[in-house]
Amino acid sequence: MNKSIKGILIIVLLFIIIYFLQINFFSWFNISGVMPNLFVILVLFIGLFVGNKLGGVFGLAIGIILDITFGRTVGVTGVLLAIIGLIGEYFDKNFSKDNRMMIILVSIACTILFEVGMYIFKFATLKIDIDIPAFAITLLIENLFNSLLIIIFYTGIKKIGYYLEDTFKGRKLLTRYF
Amino acid sequence: MKNGKTSVIGVLIATVILIVIIVVSNWGNEKMSFIQNGVSLITIPIQNAFAFVKDKINNNDQEISDIDSLKNENKELRDENTKLKEAERELEVLKSENNTLKDYLNLKNKYADYSTIPAYIVERTYSNYDKIVIINVGSKDGIDINMPVISESGLVGHVISVTENSAKVQTIIDTASTVSSTISTADESILVKGTISNNEQLKASSIPANATVLQGDAVVTSGLGGIYPKGILIGTIKEIVNTKNQTDRYANIQTATNFNTLQTVLVLTAK
Repeated sequence: MNKSIKGILIIVLLFIIIYFLQINFFSWFNISGVMPNLFVILVLFIGLFVGNKLGGVFGLAIGIILDITFGRTVGVTGVLLAIIGLIGEYFDKNFSKDNRMMIILVSIACTILFEVGMYIFKFATLKIDIDIPAFAITLLIENLFNSLLIIIFYTGIKKIGYYLEDTFKGRKLLTRYF
Repeated sequence: MKNGKTSVIGVLIATVILIVIIVVSNWGNEKMSFIQNGVSLITIPIQNAFAFVKDKINNNDQEISDIDSLKNENKELRDENTKLKEAERELEVLKSENNTLKDYLNLKNKYADYSTIPAYIVERTYSNYDKIVIINVGSKDGIDINMPVISESGLVGHVISVTENSAKVQTIIDTASTVSSTISTADESILVKGTISNNEQLKASSIPANATVLQGDAVVTSGLGGIYPKGILIGTIKEIVNTKNQTDRYANIQTATNFNTLQTVLVLTAK
């Protein structure tokens, strides 16, 4: 099987696993009703390891699927996730992926970007009442949850990430040590 | 090597922290039984040890004379146990089916004046800021946009989009949801909106200055707005928050429907 197709299949499989974890498992395994946002982490991970082109494309595709399944309008989730996929490579060029703290900080920044973007869009289109304290607390718990999951699964994330990086960019694992 | 150890310790600490946070944050009414279970977990082995020593002293322990017969007996009991477990599983399935059918029947009786379509929640949104659910009936079952959705306990929300086999329901706890309602003790209309922070609480605003609102008052749909019929229970007043300006006061409403465990719903259609 072509290496790139194998890489894409791995990403699709990751999306399916994350989808069912997010929809089923985390609907009861949550902190005071607040779930993590694994889709943001997945798209960021694709952008960081695979590059901005596939990051953007997968971000857009995943967002559109989520919009079709759960959204009121189609597009906004796709656009925001595509932005996260696109800027993933920027973070890769400027920071080290081998640093767990860096991955956590980048994921916090991306989660804030995504959720604030969604909230503003919801406010603009549905005229909802803005409740900044409640929004901030929920966002804080969501980021805490995301960060703890990254700490726990960092080794696995890195292994799959470098495999995909090698597949799509042709880099060898050792290059990161130079 | 040291880094590897630190990494493993970090992962273990993070896992423990995550589990502790989730357990503590979801402590509800089961808090006491959880503590009791924890205490009994420690005390029961000690009690058993004491009982064993006591039996020994009183020479009440039985001599094991026939190991073969005990082995046979043990095997028979294991077989019997497996059969009982299978029967129990079958019973659980039947019980679950029976409960679902009972739920449907209760709902149908309660809203006999309307045509209803029973449905099951198949998915809940991934977002912490939206409260949308997907139900397993769609346009081929007669579902259309803006149809009200109810549970056995009260109002759930309304249909916002439909496919052939499923429908999206915006629940009343969604921040984009606004329901025109009335308090059972007053005639004036109030607006009930969803909040981000709580899955079982709504915020009632636009309460008329002269309206007397009391804790425990029932809140029902007013019939205004064109989506929800009049008189469907939304919840009860949990708390009234008074502000300097009487017109800005609001009330927190405890929803009649438990959205965390909600599975069976009815879609109300025109008769």
